[in-house]
Amino acid sequence: MIPFRYNLRSILARKATTAATAFGIALVVFVLASALMLSAGIKKTLGASGRADNAIVMRTGSDAELNSSFDTTSVGLVLAAPGVKRDDKGAPIGVGEVVLVLALEKLGDPGITNVFLRGVPETALAFRPSARVVSGRAPRPGSDEVLVGKRLRGRFKGFEVGQSFELRKNRSVSVVGILEDEGSSYESEVWADVDTVRTGLGREGLVSSVRARLESPAKFDAFKASVESDKNLGFEVTRETTFLEKQSEGVSIFVTALGSVIAFFFSIGAMIGAMITMYGSIASRQREIGTLRALGFPRWQILVAFLLECSVLSLFGGALGAAAAIAMRFVSFSMINFTSWSEIVFTFEPTPAILLMSLMFALAMGVFGGLLPAIRAARVSPIQAMR
Amino acid sequence: MSESTMVRVRGLSKIYERGGEQLKVLSGLDLDLAEGTFEALMGPSGSGKSTLLNIIAGLDRPSSGTVEVKGEDISRLSESALATWRSRTLGFIFQSYNLMPVLTALENVELPLLLTKLGGAERKKRAEIALRIVGLEQRMDHYPRQLSGGQEQRVAIARAIVNDPAIIVADEPTGDLDRQSADDILTLLEKLAKDMNKTILMVTHDPVAADRATKVHRLDKGALSS
Repeated sequence: MIPFRYNLRSILARKATTAATAFGIALVVFVLASALMLSAGIKKTLGASGRADNAIVMRTGSDAELNSSFDTTSVGLVLAAPGVKRDDKGAPIGVGEVVLVLALEKLGDPGITNVFLRGVPETALAFRPSARVVSGRAPRPGSDEVLVGKRLRGRFKGFEVGQSFELRKNRSVSVVGILEDEGSSYESEVWADVDTVRTGLGREGLVSSVRARLESPAKFDAFKASVESDKNLGFEVTRETTFLEKQSEGVSIFVTALGSVIAFFFSIGAMIGAMITMYGSIASRQREIGTLRALGFPRWQILVAFLLECSVLSLFGGALGAAAAIAMRFVSFSMINFTSWSEIVFTFEPTPAILLMSLMFALAMGVFGGLLPAIRAARVSPIQAMR
Repeated sequence: MSESTMVRVRGLSKIYERGGEQLKVLSGLDLDLAEGTFEALMGPSGSGKSTLLNIIAGLDRPSSGTVEVKGEDISRLSESALATWRSRTLGFIFQSYNLMPVLTALENVELPLLLTKLGGAERKKRAEIALRIVGLEQRMDHYPRQLSGGQEQRVAIARAIVNDPAIIVADEPTGDLDRQSADDILTLLEKLAKDMNKTILMVTHDPVAADRATKVHRLDKGALSS
């Protein structure tokens, strides 16, 4: 076989064209990997807080907590249904919460953006063991104290511990702590006392959803059947994990599709770039290739060697692009969640599968971009050696 | 075919078609090359010497006639069989040396051995021996750009002999060299024929170079005149 170092050194010998081609491929891989990483980040953020043994109860027909509303007296009825886990004192484990969207001023950036506000009972933190206060303290029940999600910190006015902001005009609340929850969407929410939210924003006697902890994931069907049996109440029961998957589906499909479409069109450009580079390289190496043919190297070995050369070039570009995409993990990205119409902050999640796929994509670009030039190289006549 | 005939060309013609016109480059040519001889092929530009060399070297095919090398008619071989035949039977020396610029002298010389079943250590050993024969054992790790023209051509000669071919074809091997370097190369070719029994066919324009050959064939308008 033609030694690999021949092709490798030939790539390195043409520094400017190699760099330009690798940059084109790196750009495509960067776009693709970033889109996939963002999609993974969205799934992680919106899906991280789900538990298989949690059920969420909302008004029938509501696909999001924001659209659901029912009487607070129903909370007791829901939690009395069979299958709900009870604590040491025999009380059912669950939370009835009210959610709203607040329009708040952004920090350092003129304009107003929606923020997700969750009115929570005293047990909200205990109900979600992964959620914790990382700075400051938990709010006192029934007070005007709130927790701000970690990812919202520094993005809105008055969101630091010790500062305050208005739920509505002349209805101020003070930030006493920062909430962290393993990167879930709760980190993009403001948590306030449920009664403060109700009275402050005119939601007296109402809740948006009830989350119930089940004795086990297997109890879900019985719980659902019981809660949904009373058609007058008009409840719909969903597993929390399913609910959150649906929440993330739209956004993550959108981001993946957008990224893939952009990457696809970019990749055509990058492949043409790789093709031009290889054609140029082969044109200037006619005598070398002719010599290899004269020495007795068969056509297929020439074809393989040049395909390999283009693949290595592409993989090099791909690795650059993937490395740049990995650096995106330090960047957070805010966008409007289509289901809550409030700002949610995502991070890019690099996974081994995404990185591998990006490199495979780069390799595919190399093979497709290099195929025609490699065929041309294989067709170089050995007589070229004599010219 | 006598015992000592290495190459026997009979009734060789080569016709090119260009724009519907037929261009006869070689017409019914006969030529014998004896084993272990250093023979030169001379002639004016366009006389067909490069075409003849290419056909004998299995790089091009005749329009009619036969080329027998060690009794085998190579004009009947398929393209891939011809490539294998070249790798086993022939060594090439080109006017512009044709070394791979990104490979060292040793790696360039090793190239033809990559088509054999030899292992890495054995390939390296043989390439070193070939470089020693041409007097470049001190330049093994040098790249072509670090060598003079004469040294580059000597590396090319080492590459041409490394697989121990029966025939060496040389296309204007001294064309790009100064007189001293050209002399050195010609001395080396003489030695290869005399000491290693190689059959060498050299195309040249240079009468001084041709004088060093044991026999000179003159080609004019596609036919041998002597």
